[in-house]
Amino acid sequence: MSASITVNGRDQAVEDGETVAGLLERLGLGARYALVERNGDPVERTRYAEVSLEDGDRLVVARPVAGG
Amino acid sequence: MSSQDPFVVAGREFGSRLLTGTGKYDTFETMREALAASGSEIVTVAVRRIDLDARDGDITAFLPDDVLLLPNTSGCETADEAVRTARLARAGGLPDWVKLEVIPDPRYLLPDPVETLRAAATLVEDGFTVLPYVLPDPVLQKKLEEVGCATVMPLASPIGSGRGLKLRDAIRIMIEQAEVPLVVDAGLGSPSHAAESMEMGADAVLVNTAIAQAGDPVAMARAFKLAVEAGRAAFHAGLMEEGVQAAASSPLAGAVHEP
Repeated sequence: MSASITVNGRDQAVEDGETVAGLLERLGLGARYALVERNGDPVERTRYAEVSLEDGDRLVVARPVAGG
Repeated sequence: MSSQDPFVVAGREFGSRLLTGTGKYDTFETMREALAASGSEIVTVAVRRIDLDARDGDITAFLPDDVLLLPNTSGCETADEAVRTARLARAGGLPDWVKLEVIPDPRYLLPDPVETLRAAATLVEDGFTVLPYVLPDPVLQKKLEEVGCATVMPLASPIGSGRGLKLRDAIRIMIEQAEVPLVVDAGLGSPSHAAESMEMGADAVLVNTAIAQAGDPVAMARAFKLAVEAGRAAFHAGLMEEGVQAAASSPLAGAVHEP
């Protein structure tokens, strides 16, 4: 049984009970600062390993980039 | 870092009065060297969605560990967008400091004062240390101070233009009445512009393009470091008063050829 979410607007299948941390790892996004918003709310880094993804979730994954 | 003349923002002391941005470098390696040469202790970064199709390098691997990373809200055109970006950055482990930019105008990249003030109030209330980027406006400065901003950062001229202190007179008023540190941010194209800002009494300057796009960014970073230090020293020393006519430096009497 898997759920479907979006990551930065793109459809993404996730395993049942997969956490934010698990997904970041699987997608190779586990950088020093991966910034995550779930359904419009920021997710605290300390909770990445606790928050399970649910069908229909909309994730935004951002990170620091060069800028002034 | 210890310093005789620390730059104090929100109770935190910094030895350097040169803040630097990380944009527009040809390579992250050059950026890393330039940041080191600048002596900066506050370094800005932008926040963007990860492009899942084009994973370029991770800038954070090239940033020094001993600087304060200052996420900016560039790309935000409204207060709500800026607040959202700042909260995302903080939740993800970046500092709770934010360089607040709310810029709806793509041509001159001028900040929206109304939305900036609105976002500043919300973010201060939410526990952020807020460093807003603004047009030099002494009235707006007071309002930003009243809502609890940690600095006010007026632009010298449009971002990336390198035109220097085009808005000097308004910035001078802001310096005169500042109750929180004033950082001249944007438009400084040369070390002399930075030195001039510091001589006027600015507490610090923020420079990006003038270093990153220099012929030798690392050498230019050092030049800006020296200029900021020189300008600050000159401010403390007290500049002479300007005159309209000449005033001789050498004695007028006793020239060798006198009869």
